[in-house]
Order: sequence, then structure tokens, then C-alpha cells
Amino acid sequence: MLSKRSRDHGTQGERHGPPGKRFAIALLALGASLGIAACGGGGGIGGGGSQNVETIHVSGKPSGEVTISNWPLYIDKQTVPDFEKKTGVQVKYIEDVNDNQEFFGKVQPLLAKGQSGGRSMFVVTDWMAKKMYDLGYLQNLDKSAIPNVEKNLVPNLQSPSFDPHRDFSVPWQSGMTGIIVRKDLAPDVTSICDLFDPKYKGKVDMLTEMRDTVPLVMKSGCNGNKPVDLNHATEADWLAAIDEIKGAADSGQIRRFTGNDYARDLTSGDAVAVIGWSGDAVQLQADNPDIEWRMPTEGCMLWSDNMVIPVGAPNPTAAEAWMNYVYDPTNQAQIEDYVNYVSPVSGTKEILLKQDPSVANNKLIFPSKQFTAKCDVAPTLTGDEEQKVTQAFDAVVSG
Amino acid sequence: MTARRRVIPYFLLTPGAAWLIVFFVVPMYYMARLSLNTGTLETGFTFNWEWSNYKDALSLYDQPFLRSFYYAGVATVIALAIGYPLAYAIAFKGGKWKNAMLFAVVAPFFTTYLIRTYAWQTILSDQSPVVDVLKALGLASSGHVLATGSAVIAGITYNFLPFMVLPIYASLERVDESLIEAAKDLYASSRSAFVKVTLPLSAPGIVAGTLLTFIPAAGDYVNAFFLGGANNKMIGNVIQGLYLTQRDYPAAAALSFVLMALIMVAVFIYIRFAGSEALMGEEAVGA
Repeated sequence: MLSKRSRDHGTQGERHGPPGKRFAIALLALGASLGIAACGGGGGIGGGGSQNVETIHVSGKPSGEVTISNWPLYIDKQTVPDFEKKTGVQVKYIEDVNDNQEFFGKVQPLLAKGQSGGRSMFVVTDWMAKKMYDLGYLQNLDKSAIPNVEKNLVPNLQSPSFDPHRDFSVPWQSGMTGIIVRKDLAPDVTSICDLFDPKYKGKVDMLTEMRDTVPLVMKSGCNGNKPVDLNHATEADWLAAIDEIKGAADSGQIRRFTGNDYARDLTSGDAVAVIGWSGDAVQLQADNPDIEWRMPTEGCMLWSDNMVIPVGAPNPTAAEAWMNYVYDPTNQAQIEDYVNYVSPVSGTKEILLKQDPSVANNKLIFPSKQFTAKCDVAPTLTGDEEQKVTQAFDAVVSG
Repeated sequence: MTARRRVIPYFLLTPGAAWLIVFFVVPMYYMARLSLNTGTLETGFTFNWEWSNYKDALSLYDQPFLRSFYYAGVATVIALAIGYPLAYAIAFKGGKWKNAMLFAVVAPFFTTYLIRTYAWQTILSDQSPVVDVLKALGLASSGHVLATGSAVIAGITYNFLPFMVLPIYASLERVDESLIEAAKDLYASSRSAFVKVTLPLSAPGIVAGTLLTFIPAAGDYVNAFFLGGANNKMIGNVIQGLYLTQRDYPAAAALSFVLMALIMVAVFIYIRFAGSEALMGEEAVGA
């Protein structure tokens, strides 16, 4: 919008300005911008971080102030005050992460300079945590300060491929990506391939989140394609799946690509089956019993949002104390009861069974091992692959 | 004395020129420079006259480009078809309701652009009565209206209609009715009086209105985002995606420049052929 406005001034200025004045302004402008450019000197945008990863050494008891960045509506109201009371640490809890890519764009210039913008900790999704770590933007954790994590982290999240020893990331919440349907309007959609059924033409939404949509299509092998083992997915596999999605978009099968706003389409019935997130479905279903999350017959995608400590983070000692605190099942149960995604802390279910059995027995909040047997974590992409694949996918999403 | 007199006009120009430099020329300079960079956000961008950014961006996103100009063009024509009679009615037949009618044209601006566009999602939703009527008339071939190009065009037309109506109204309002009476005294029919007198005199308003509608419409991305489907993204959406999700700043800057250049070319051609006469007409009225 901004550039558009300044553009209008441009055409008008040139249309009405007599040539002499225009020339004078241009000269002035040239001089000024050269001057500013000269002052700017080196630097420029971006610049890689150092490859030597620092390791935190926790010393003494947690104290002082700690700043935690998280996604909106990702915590209950009581946990922060409880933690402050118990430890004496002052918490500044801010909800300024809305999108991995956008958040990265915002903090990257700071992180590249070894600064965290005052944040002691923030929460990002698996692949973004890995990307930041590889760029040298995150610190290794001092595991001696987080015994609860060692003890209570659920087994299936203990050694993900992007951080096999959980050196730098601790899951905040997990979730599943599968299908959300309108039971009344699309009763027989049970697989990702059903989303390509011409019967539902123009009534299907897919996610703009590439690492959810593309691997799901890739591993399902619809439309006569061979299912791909995500652990061995190549760049060509990614591009083939993107091509398949492009075909469905071009034919009008896919109505649109969305984020959480698929909720509107499902509620109005404009879309009858979408690729969507489990935690959303729990909340949507509470409002409209016709909406239901379904495990695709091909399996789902699993992801976690992780607490990480960036370079230059003030008070990492208190940040690790926070990690340790939320990994106590009693404290975790309080968060889980509000958030309704999948808890990474074992022992939480047992506590909630007593406090709130409806949450404890919801298979979307506490999925069993069999339930998620065919689910995968999105495979990682190298920098070069990532650029090509992201470009191809974005070209499809932006029509 | 004469030297000072020569300097004073330039001196008076300083505030305006400074504004223009700080908020227009300098950002443009940086954007132009950025569009010729290579690299990624992680490795840092370096400036090395990378003209292929333009070629790559154009070949990858030619469809959204064509679509933007098509949508903006159609919306401008529809807005003119709706806006001219409306402005005419307000200017000549409004009477004591003139101000109330003008207020009604401007009233939607009291709500934000985003919310107004979002409301159209409900208006054009698959189960809405509006769409039922359109289906009955055979006007919704794909079975739905929302998430199609028609919905985007409808949204743009709606959102930019006031920009069409107000300039046309302003020029019609200034038309001296005695000229129309004179035409009729000379045995012109109502129709030929309109074609030969009223229409030419309102041409500056038409030119201004079409430009004010077309230029922002071509760069719009809100309507395509809310009302469009998987195949209806405009170039504004592409630039937004390149900037925020792909973080390919050079490509985003290159596309912005191409968009600006194309719009300027289109506007110059338009003014040359349709506009010059109209703008002359304005001077004739003034004289």
C-alpha cells in the first residue's frame, strides 16, 4: 500500500512539473541519496551468523527478569503468575510470533548481529528452529538445569531428526495436521486422495504452510503417483507433489489456500473438506458438532513448536528455569487444559483424568501410539532445496 | 536584487522538495538498488547489477501480472458504467438530497477497507441468497462465486466506486446548465445535447476517475486475498508473498518496479489518446 501511494505522487509530480523544476529536484535527490548511501557504509541487509554455537552455563538460582515470546493464545492466564510466585523471577510474556516466516524476517537482522531484541526465549516450529540453529542464531541448552525435560519429555519427541539429542530445542506444544471435514456435507472423505475427488470440486482448501500440505500429498501418492517415503524424499519428489497440487488448483478442485481462516469456509459450508490442524478442530467442533478432524488413511503430519534460547539472550538461567517449570506435569496440565493441542509432557494425562476427563480422553489432545502410527514429521530441506521448493510452492499458492 | 528574486522561488520549493526526497526519491533509490541485488536474507544481499532478477520475476509471474491488469481494467469499466449515471443523477437531479446522496457514496469509508472486503465473503458465500439468484440466472457457471475472478472484480469495483463517482460528480457539478439550454435552443435533442455538451465537459472527471480507480486497483491485493481462490491472485499478492514468506527482497523490488513502469506506460498512453482532449476541454471551460 505504501509503495502504491508514493507511486501516485511520482506520476503526478512528473505530469505537472515543468522540466526545469523536475531536473532541479532530480539533481537534489541524486545528491541527497548518494550522500545517505555514503554514510550508510558497509553492513547491508542480512549477513550470516557465526557457525560456532555457544552453550549456556546456568549458574545459581534463577532471578531477575525474563522475556518470553510465544504465539497468541498459547498459554492459560495462571501459569505465568504461578511461576513468578514460585521462583521470584519477573516474566515479560509477549505474544508476538504469528508466523514462522514473518517472525524470522523480523528477528533475523538482530540475530545476525548476535542480539535477541531483549528476548530470553521464543517459540518456533521444528524446521524453523533447525534453520536458525544452522545459522548460529541459537544456543545449546545446559541440560543440568532442566531435569524435568529429561524425565518427562514424551518418548516419540526425544530424538527428532532435526535435533536428535534435543541440544537446543524443547517442545512447547505439538499437533497433528490432517483433514477437517463437514460430516454432513462430505461424510465419505477419509484420505488425502479423497480431496482430489471431482465430487468436491471447488469445496477443498489446502494450507499455505508448505511443510504441511506438500508432504501430505507426497506421501499419499494420489492420482496414480507413487507414495513417497518422507525419510527419503528428494527435491524432485517435492516438486512433483507441488505440480500435482498445481494441477488441482488450476482445475478449480482446490478452492483456495488458507491459514487458520479455513475455519470460516468450514463454518459457512463454502469448503467441506480441508487440510487443517488438530487443535483448531477441537475448538471448531465445540462450536459446530458437524465439524470433525479426521486422521487421513495415509497418516498425518506431526509437528512441534519449540522453546529455544537465541544468541544474546538475557538471563538464560531464568529461561531454563521456565522450561523446567512447564515440564512438571502438574504445571503442564494447567496449560494443556486451556490450549488443547498435544502435550509433550508425559504424566499430564493422568493428572487431567482427575481434573478434566473430557480433555484427557480426547484423542486429538492425547493421541495414542496406534492413532499416530502412520504420521511423520516434515522432512528437512537443505538451503538450496528449500529456496527452489519454496519458490515453486509460492508460485502455486499465489496463482 | 534580481539574483535574489531568482533564488526565492527555489527557496520556497525547499519544504516540498525535501518531503519528496525523503519520502519518495530515497525509498525509490533503495528499492531500485535492492532490485539489482543477489543473495538471500541469510547470506546477505550484495549489489551487482543483477538484471536477471527482472527477467526471472517476469517469466515466473506473467500470469498474475496479466490478471491484475485484466481485473483492474474490467473493474474500472464497470465502475464507470455504474458511477457515471450515479454522478449525473446526483449532480443534476439530486436537488435538496444532493449532500445526503454524496454522503451515501462516501459512507462506506467510515468502516475500514479490510472489514468491508471481508463482509463480501458473507455476501458472496455459496449459500447466500445473492448467489442463489445468480445461479438461477445462470451467471455462476462454476457453482460458486466466492473464490473466483468475478468475486475479485466485484470487490474491486465496490471498493473503488467512490473514486470514480466523486471526480465525475465534481466535473458535472461545474457544467454550466445554460450551455445545455443553449444547445436545446439550437434544436439539439436531449441525447445530442448530452453527447455534444455534457459528456465532453465531464471528460476531465472521467479521466481522473478512471485513473484513480485503475491505478490502485492494479496494485491491490486485499480483494484477491479475501475474495479470490487458488487461481485469482494478483501481482500485489505475489509481491507480498515474495517479501514476507520467501523473503526474496530483490525479486519483490523488481516486480514492484515492473508494476510501476507498466502502470505508468498505460497511464501515459491513456492520457495521450483519451486524456489530451479531455484536459483541453477543461482549459476551454476555464477560458
